[in-house]
Amino acid sequence: MTITDQMTSKKPDAGLRLRVLSKIGEHKPYSCYQCIKCTSGCPSMKMLELKPHEIVALAKAGFIDELVNSGIIWTCATCLKCKERCPQAVAPVDLILALRNLAVEKEAKVPESYLHDLSMILECGYVSRPQATITRKLEKIERDKLALPKFRESNERFKAAFLKVLEQTQSGGA
Amino acid sequence: MKMPVYWGCVIPTMQYSYEMSVREIMPRLGVELVELDNASCCGTPLQSVNMVAAVYLAARNLAIAEKTGFTDLLAVCNGCHLSLFEAAHFLSHDEKLREQVNGMLKEEDLQYSGKVKIWHTIDFLHDMVGEDTIRKNVTNQLSGLKLAVHYGCHILRPSSIGTVDDPENPQKLDRLIDWLGAKSIQYPEKLDCCGAMLMLSHPDAAFTFTGLKLKAVQESGADALVDSCPSCQNMFDVRQKSAAATTGAKLNMPVIYYTQLLGLAMGISQEKLGLNLNRSPIDEFLQKALVH
Repeated sequence: MTITDQMTSKKPDAGLRLRVLSKIGEHKPYSCYQCIKCTSGCPSMKMLELKPHEIVALAKAGFIDELVNSGIIWTCATCLKCKERCPQAVAPVDLILALRNLAVEKEAKVPESYLHDLSMILECGYVSRPQATITRKLEKIERDKLALPKFRESNERFKAAFLKVLEQTQSGGA
Repeated sequence: MKMPVYWGCVIPTMQYSYEMSVREIMPRLGVELVELDNASCCGTPLQSVNMVAAVYLAARNLAIAEKTGFTDLLAVCNGCHLSLFEAAHFLSHDEKLREQVNGMLKEEDLQYSGKVKIWHTIDFLHDMVGEDTIRKNVTNQLSGLKLAVHYGCHILRPSSIGTVDDPENPQKLDRLIDWLGAKSIQYPEKLDCCGAMLMLSHPDAAFTFTGLKLKAVQESGADALVDSCPSCQNMFDVRQKSAAATTGAKLNMPVIYYTQLLGLAMGISQEKLGLNLNRSPIDEFLQKALVH
């Protein structure tokens, strides 16, 4: 007999669980004993009701699809306090990042800014090109007007290599 | 001493005053910065999207650093520091991943071998440049200033892979401030996160993180908040008004990079340190700092 989610009558998915847990190396959620130290120090708990210990429990039980399709995995600020303080070296933040990776792979709802960063890196090697900034006196100023060396985008060879990396790793090769 | 430097994305495209102040102070402290050729993003923004691609990007920049022939690398941004540090940890513990990543790096004739020691501004100034050199270069003692410090999450945690300072009771930035003649004050929210990473998904929550911390710093009686991470500075300094509007707090807190503060203590001009680019209200603070 396995656990069934009372709200959705869904059964856990052992295959997906294995896939997520295999991504997080040395920190295995199996050793979590729900002491809730992670959640009590989590800044996103205060603001956005993120409960890292619940995420670990759900992943252990195999409710991966539910987590991947829930907005809650995008509320983590990656402050890493949970990873630092866990007495069992579980690292809920690593699990959350693995779940986010899976959300991207399965084309679940992903905040657009993350994908924007990816496309910028493909375009110029960085998440942004030099932006105009504003002084305290509200004057607009460009990077090349400051005493700084010229900004160089990454070259074409990098872009080709990076595109290849994305193709290799997005098709479940990771 | 020659030191390769890695700037990442945020500093050279948005946070110019950090780059300007690092470039001003280092040569005067006897450090000649060596630029990396054809560097790219460190991978941090991709950790949520594609972890292997993120590790590849970090390893790529480390491989470029190895090519310079030096065995140290200064990563001045907190996010980059963690990304490079974590990737180095993963690659030294996972031979399969290392083979996979080195296979990818071959496309550009690069190879990662793990020879480079990664430094951040704070531990580099504290451990490598050191107290004597810093004290010797201070011509304008900042005595009488009470300063609150913000380390930023990504140079403190996770300590399991080795970090810049103690994860729960860091002291290096506090001491760096003491060496300038100023005083670092203690406040309970010292380790709180700035919220920057939530800007990608929950900007209002991010501003609330920022606003609550700034409010706490203000209530502690500090003359200014001192940080050393471009993403944190982007929140505390550039977005202070949005943080005030979101939290309903009346914020009026000067925010300054440690490297700008050190530059002031070394007698470097405000213009060269990019102090006109700080958006928080720092004019009164600067007057106070320069009176001594």
